Amino acid sequence: MKKRGIGYGSMFYGLGYGFSRTDIASATLEISQDGSIIARSGEVDYGQGSDTVFCQIIAEELGVDYSAIKLITADTDVTPDSGPTSASRLTFVGGNAFIKTSRSLKKILNGVAEDILGASDLVFREGMVFSRSAPEKSISFKKLAGRAYARGVPAVVTEWYNNTTQDVDPETGQGDAYATYCWATQMAEVEVDTETGRVEVLRIVAVTDVGKALNPLNCEAQIEGGVVQGLGYALEEEIKEEGGYVKTGTLGEYMIPTSLDIPTIEVHLLEVTEPKGPYGAKGVGEPALIPTPPAVLNAVRDALGLRIHKLPANLENVYHLINGAEAGN
Amino acid sequence: MQSYEYYAPRSLPDALEYLAENAKNCRIIAGGTDLIPALRNEDIHPAFLLNIMEIAEVGGISETEQTVRIGAITTFNDLAESGLIRKEFPILSEMALSVGGPQTRNRGTIGGNIASAAPAADGLPVFLSLDAEVELSSRRGKRNLPLNEAIAKAWTPAWGNDELITAIRIKKLPSGTRTAFYKLARRQAMARSRMTISLILRRDPAGIIEELRFVPGSVMPVPRRMEEIEKLLTGKVPTDELLDQAARAVGEEMVKVTGIRWSTGYKKPVLGNLFRIVLSQLITAG
Repeated sequence: MKKRGIGYGSMFYGLGYGFSRTDIASATLEISQDGSIIARSGEVDYGQGSDTVFCQIIAEELGVDYSAIKLITADTDVTPDSGPTSASRLTFVGGNAFIKTSRSLKKILNGVAEDILGASDLVFREGMVFSRSAPEKSISFKKLAGRAYARGVPAVVTEWYNNTTQDVDPETGQGDAYATYCWATQMAEVEVDTETGRVEVLRIVAVTDVGKALNPLNCEAQIEGGVVQGLGYALEEEIKEEGGYVKTGTLGEYMIPTSLDIPTIEVHLLEVTEPKGPYGAKGVGEPALIPTPPAVLNAVRDALGLRIHKLPANLENVYHLINGAEAGN
Repeated sequence: MQSYEYYAPRSLPDALEYLAENAKNCRIIAGGTDLIPALRNEDIHPAFLLNIMEIAEVGGISETEQTVRIGAITTFNDLAESGLIRKEFPILSEMALSVGGPQTRNRGTIGGNIASAAPAADGLPVFLSLDAEVELSSRRGKRNLPLNEAIAKAWTPAWGNDELITAIRIKKLPSGTRTAFYKLARRQAMARSRMTISLILRRDPAGIIEELRFVPGSVMPVPRRMEEIEKLLTGKVPTDELLDQAARAVGEEMVKVTGIRWSTGYKKPVLGNLFRIVLSQLITAG
């Protein structure tokens, strides 16, 4: 018999390292005389899209096209220390570092432009620098870069963003341990085959407070990816060992979902501005994954009236749950 | 990294000659989906590797009035895309589409699936349910061997090491025969089968089962028809009570072969459940 159920999982999650642990990121910008920009960061983009967001931030601050930026990341030979790529901190800490660096560079260029244009209310937008009150007083960003170079002003800027927080009270454990917190809730709808123990996830609805979606498509994709990882955690992933040897040492044995196992995922982005975040943004990475397993397992409980305590909720464990027997290895 | 002599002839006599000369230390490679990992893991150490993928006589799907011949190097995707197979043996099309993923289906061959004789093979149980024969060629000549006599034990064919499996032959099914393949796995693709069910069913107009062939996959070291279960149902109208009785007997028959293993607590009841579910669907399908 096939039984359906619905379950929810909610989470909040401290972003960055918290508890007075060092949480810093540096970022470097270098401008060439043709106006092209070389950005350097120690953060690693392993598919989550931080490179895209960093370039967006620089383009936004300097009013230049995204394509004018060449970003070099995660090469200890040439990139500065930006702290580890973890704790859902890249957009927040690395992004803030690029805002600071971009504004320092802009201040230098702004000084040169004020001198050339004879105006002090300058706007950097769409590759142009112009006076707000007298827009005919203008110079292209590229030309400005060349003039600045000719004058020998600093062309390389490095800034440092410190996200280190206060520790909590050692006696009471009370305090504000993290710079900010991420919030997310997911709903799962499942169908359990009571005769085989197979759990099929039919639908996931994910609602995540991202602060501000700097790149909405990127946020959605990251949440979808997190959900898929969470599905693997709930239903498939298992390390088996025998006599000290791992028996599930390949991805043929250690199961993660394939594209055919992925249900409909409905993503909703909530934008609750975080004042400390870059343009109000928070991290997305881990909050995307955390609510999925509890949502799925609560849905299994809703379907069966039984709570599973042994993961993964795979064929054997679910079948034995239904039939009241202890699972095998 | 291993070293071995590699030979990829275009003619079958050349291949059989090479095989006969080097029989003891030669491995035959077709799609390589089993053999290449085994070489990489150094599970096998052949001195000679004979690639049969360039030999035309070992490929192709053809029919006579009574039988269909499927060349040994037919890949799972060739099988899935064949109109002839879909018409005569839809169970083979279903099985082929369930194997691995597109890459493994593009490389893996039915001859390799049979010759590897893996307990979790997907093709082997389906061919057994179809009472297939393997066509074996060697320098000594050609012979046909019923598939149920062709596997000695898990991972080990029963034919000579100078013999090459060149084709599978299957008799066409009488009209009115229905077939079903069901695969239970831990995920929907790229998964080793947990259990499979292969069923061939023909009933008379009164609903009495005239013929039933049933092969479970991934439950026994060497898959085989469960004749005890076939006998239990043949000549009878499959009532719910009879199906429940048969489902229980399926698990017991499995345990007779496998004994009690860590997986028995799951496989014994669930194999029976799957048998009942798939057979019921086949009965009510029309």
